[in-house]
Amino acid sequence: MPEMTYLQAISDALREEMRADERVFVMGEDVGAFGGAFKVTDGLQDEFGSDRVMDTPLAESAILGTAVGAAVVGLRPVCEMQFADFISCGFDQLVNVAGKMHYRQGLAVPITVRLPSGGGFSGGPFHSQNPEAWFMHSPGIKVLAPSTAEDAKGLLISAIRDPNPVCFCEHKHLYRRVKGEVPEGLYETPMSARVARPGSDLVVIAYGAMVWSALEATEDLDGASIEVLDLRSLVPLDEAAILDSVARCSKVVVVDEANATCAAGAQVAALIAQRGFEDLDGPVVRVATPDVPIPFSPPLERAVLPQVDDIKEACRELLAY
Amino acid sequence: MPQMGVSVAEGTVVAWHKRVGDWVNADEPLVEISTDKVDTEVPSPASGRVLEILADVEQTVAVGGLLARIGTDAVAGDPHPDEHLNGDSGDASPPSTQPEPAPSGQRGETAKAHSHHSPVVQRIARKEGIDLDRVSGTGRGGRVRKQDVLAFIEQRSAEPSNGSSQAPLHSDSPYREDTGERPAPAQPPVAGSGEQVERLSRMRRSIAEHMLHSLQVAAHCTSVSEADMSAIETERELLGLSYLPFIARCVIDALQAHPSLNATLDGEQLTRHRDVNLGIAVSLGEDGLIVPVIHRAQELSHQGLATRIGELAERARSGRLSPDEVHGGTFTITNPGSFGTLMSTPIINQPQVAILDLEAVVKRPVVVTDGAGRDSLAIRPMSYLCLSWDHRALDGALAAQFLGTLRRRIERWGDV
Repeated sequence: MPEMTYLQAISDALREEMRADERVFVMGEDVGAFGGAFKVTDGLQDEFGSDRVMDTPLAESAILGTAVGAAVVGLRPVCEMQFADFISCGFDQLVNVAGKMHYRQGLAVPITVRLPSGGGFSGGPFHSQNPEAWFMHSPGIKVLAPSTAEDAKGLLISAIRDPNPVCFCEHKHLYRRVKGEVPEGLYETPMSARVARPGSDLVVIAYGAMVWSALEATEDLDGASIEVLDLRSLVPLDEAAILDSVARCSKVVVVDEANATCAAGAQVAALIAQRGFEDLDGPVVRVATPDVPIPFSPPLERAVLPQVDDIKEACRELLAY
Repeated sequence: MPQMGVSVAEGTVVAWHKRVGDWVNADEPLVEISTDKVDTEVPSPASGRVLEILADVEQTVAVGGLLARIGTDAVAGDPHPDEHLNGDSGDASPPSTQPEPAPSGQRGETAKAHSHHSPVVQRIARKEGIDLDRVSGTGRGGRVRKQDVLAFIEQRSAEPSNGSSQAPLHSDSPYREDTGERPAPAQPPVAGSGEQVERLSRMRRSIAEHMLHSLQVAAHCTSVSEADMSAIETERELLGLSYLPFIARCVIDALQAHPSLNATLDGEQLTRHRDVNLGIAVSLGEDGLIVPVIHRAQELSHQGLATRIGELAERARSGRLSPDEVHGGTFTITNPGSFGTLMSTPIINQPQVAILDLEAVVKRPVVVTDGAGRDSLAIRPMSYLCLSWDHRALDGALAAQFLGTLRRRIERWGDV
């Protein structure tokens, strides 16, 4: 099985799916001739031509609006927001048009919106956000957030094949830092959670880059057996897996890289408090970025984004409770 | 217990100013003590939460004796343990200073669970019938954690008898040597979801009493014979009856041949009866069973018995038996039904001396000997005749003879 970076896995998914399904095409800023700001779409225009790998104007609402139109007539657009942060310019097209069209008119809108998300590299406030909560909150839209290379490829393929609008939150800080074995050819990863490491004393629930921080923080923590649950899919949320981990571990730490208020972790915590109450041996603890814009300054950014030590500390406290 | 005076050796607790779970500050009055020299308030030696009160009001404790325990690593602002009690009614009411009575949401658990135990700890304690006061906590401030309860359960189930010098006990023996620690009286398992707890009905209690009494007074033995039912088979099918009336008729004949089994034993007084008052056990489903009696059964043919059995059974099931109809039996037959059980060891219906149990009739290969003494295999409907009898009144030989006669009667049914 070939080893690929997270970024290569995403490219591979696009390439393979475009080869297999001629309805699939890519749209975005600098995706064609330049090969993408991060080089995800490098080489695709050479292979598939500019009709299928389109450079768009700097206009996210146009990108999304066009994608919706294309999808409604039977194509499978995969549009890219150069940085997830820019989705706000296309918000209305995504949330009100794409998200509600099936409900209003019975028309499927099978678009995939790739959102390079997350920070940790001094990207500053407009290049480091994790906007998934905005779209978890919008009915009609699915939200995915893979953490491994294998899942990045499989979930992107699942997203492209899904008849619903899907926000694919790829963590840009994982692009080259995460490598793994990735199956060749085409495969779909189910939109469910994955136990990254099984455990029994406590479970850390996370997604995206925070899965890696969680794994590192709990690798060898005072001999405790700590489970790490990688959500992978935020909508649909794998409630059964979450409640199962809680039933076995009874102590929960939920980690968000996103701003704390109403982040994905808040939904997870509410779910556990309501349906996992009888299994809890301690309060549901959350570790998240405070409600501030993400700083550019490296020490400031480190101070706000959850670090490995923050997760360690939260786990220690809860284990001792 | 502080020393109140040079010559004071003990003190009596008059009143506690704090309860378990209350916060107390250092030097705050904690308890009032009375001695023959002086009555005084005892200040708390430290700030913390009162964890345990070891001397009740009116109790006399020697100087130096332990009165109470205070947890000094507790936090002052924490809600009183009792304040958690009302939290689960769903509304986010702020903790009050008065503890509210436990809401009916805490459905009748008999295992004591304090409000400050976490949901999973309470749930496990409820399910296993554990008194959480007995579980030592390793969590913050002595809190009982999930692993503490689980460890307690493991330790409880692994409790072996402490190496006694007696002969080793059978592994199934429930006896355990007294370790000196008196365990709490056994809590009945609490009904979880899917379990039903109910008191035995009056009928069941009555049956229970009777059965237990019978086992206690009679020297029960069971002898088993088997009989080939094929002689009965044809007429049985023809008449559309069960085996029971036929067997009943054969039993009556056998009892008349062996009157010692048609008897009742009252202490040391054995009464052999002239009439065969045959009791037939009738199942009332899950409610229990009842044994109506066919008085002077010897007067009835097998068909008469069939009719009578049917009548009595019907009246039994609809609760219309008269007291006379369940008294005066001299012998009982029980026939639990065609469920396939082969043998049984029935309990004698006091004060009778024997009872016969009929179980399934099963087709089996048997050896048959023809008139010329040649053996061959045949397939016959066989059934075990299980006779429980009271060894106080008779011996095995007689029981065996009775069974032999019964068997012959059955196998020669129809012979003139």
